[in-house]
Amino acid sequence: MLRGFQLFGLFSRISILNEMQYRANFFIQVFQSALTLTTGLIVMNVVFSYTQTLGGWTHAELLAIYGVFFLMSGLVGALIFPNIWAFMEDVREGRLDFILTKPEDAQVLISVRQLALWRLVDVIIGVVVLAIALTQIGQQSSWLQALAFGAALLMGAVILYSIILIASTAAFWSVRVWEMMEMIGSIFQAGRWPVGIYPDWLRLGLTYLIPVAFAVTVPAEALTGRLTPQTLLFTFFFTVFLAFISRKIWFYGLKNYTGASA
Amino acid sequence: MSTNGIHVKDLTKVYRVPEREAGLKAAVVSLLQRKHKEVRAVDGITFDIEPGEIVGFLGPNGAGKTTTLKMLSGLLYPTSGELSVLGHLPEKRQRELLQRITLVMGQRSQLNWDIPAIDSYDLYRAIYGIPQEQFTKIRDEMIALMQLQGLVNKPVRNLSLGERMKAEMVGALLHQPQVLFLDEPTIGVDVTMQRRMRTFIQEYNHKHKATVLLTSHYMADVQALCKRVIVIHHGTILYDGDLAGLVGRFSAMKTLVVSTSDMNGKAPDMAQYGNVLKAEPNRTTLRVSKAEAPQVTARLLADLPVTDLTVEDPPIEEIIETVFATPDEIAQ
Repeated sequence: MLRGFQLFGLFSRISILNEMQYRANFFIQVFQSALTLTTGLIVMNVVFSYTQTLGGWTHAELLAIYGVFFLMSGLVGALIFPNIWAFMEDVREGRLDFILTKPEDAQVLISVRQLALWRLVDVIIGVVVLAIALTQIGQQSSWLQALAFGAALLMGAVILYSIILIASTAAFWSVRVWEMMEMIGSIFQAGRWPVGIYPDWLRLGLTYLIPVAFAVTVPAEALTGRLTPQTLLFTFFFTVFLAFISRKIWFYGLKNYTGASA
Repeated sequence: MSTNGIHVKDLTKVYRVPEREAGLKAAVVSLLQRKHKEVRAVDGITFDIEPGEIVGFLGPNGAGKTTTLKMLSGLLYPTSGELSVLGHLPEKRQRELLQRITLVMGQRSQLNWDIPAIDSYDLYRAIYGIPQEQFTKIRDEMIALMQLQGLVNKPVRNLSLGERMKAEMVGALLHQPQVLFLDEPTIGVDVTMQRRMRTFIQEYNHKHKATVLLTSHYMADVQALCKRVIVIHHGTILYDGDLAGLVGRFSAMKTLVVSTSDMNGKAPDMAQYGNVLKAEPNRTTLRVSKAEAPQVTARLLADLPVTDLTVEDPPIEEIIETVFATPDEIAQ
């Protein structure tokens, strides 16, 4: 684990030095994020011009969800997707062999290699939106709530990582996995609204299949004082469970790769 | 069995590959009910390599060379047979073993193309846990040996193929492995750089007593580096021994180059002595069978005003070609 963080630090440093050379990318990212943010806010305003609450959430609280959503998609876009994408390319082009002959856990290695620096712009925007929303709500968050929020955020990220990793191991059997990644990305978009507003079947899907609920709604619940200790505990077990399952599936896929590839 | 070298016994790898006939109907059927065909990529090979040996692994495409290398480096599970590298079972991919081996594939790049090679080297330092001081020393030594100064600071995508392969080789040896698996390391690289890489491999082998298993299509690589060659074809070993022995065993022919003094246009028909490969004025290159070579030589010396005569083996490329063209007859 510690080695993993060390490697992540070193890989990140090199990524950052490299990305710094392409400042145009930074401005493109800022423009793109601003556009997404503006459309999102307009849609939300339109919705709230018809109603005062949505699924029990006020406008300001929904803004908080939107902030968490931005924050989380920034994290996923900066840390998870670039790594998974690189991994799938490596499988396709046979470069995974170089990873597998390194004296390091292969899952750790493929997970820490890339950092899409400019996507962190979304994380900053998310934090700002969240801060504004909290001011609007006007309720002082306790230390406990902040702590619960941090934990929920971390667990949400681990859950998303596990789901995306599981989906990507399909690369060991088939080569067309990117469509599946796109699908996960689109479904994740549903996370900008609290999952409670969706019909039951969709809510269940968003909770257990593609757990947007845990990634966005639960952390937002923590900040707005809606989170019950039971939900937090359940989230914890679900996180551990998914992390475990995804590692099992990863090993299974790896075995298939080393068992049959030419 | 040595725990420091490579030990392979009855090693076999069978692939199950989906099989279908041509046509749309067959394609639809195969979606539901897939037939499999077994392909024996490696079929019961046995050899031992002592520490410090450089062994050339020869064979045409699809002979099973890469499959064997992949099993040796732990990337593929063998179907059956014994396998040991430095006393380890490679498929377990234990840290102690991976720390001491390396894999270079000429057709694939492990360096990140977007960043300078020197940054990738730094990552390898971290992955292999090489102490900083030792790392810097080894790295700079290797960069100097490969004449890569300055080039390692450019993004890899801006390097030529030859420069890139040299940079790959340095990256693969920074952790000073004791066993090197080199799969076509010089492919597509120009002659000067091939020579530089050969010298590099030789010096590394010499300095570290490292074991090297090399596949190459360039016989020059094999001739320069390998005392011993293993010839593999259709997944089985056709020959295992020194390079000179390969020539002696598989070459049924000799090449005679005979020079004569001027015979004023009364040159005899050289075809009576053997197969004429090249006819120049007063100089003829003949191909004769090995058994007949002494008699033909004697006759030439008796019949003609010979000024010079050499007896040579055909070029190694030609021999290898003959071996693969008719493996069953010659392999007996």
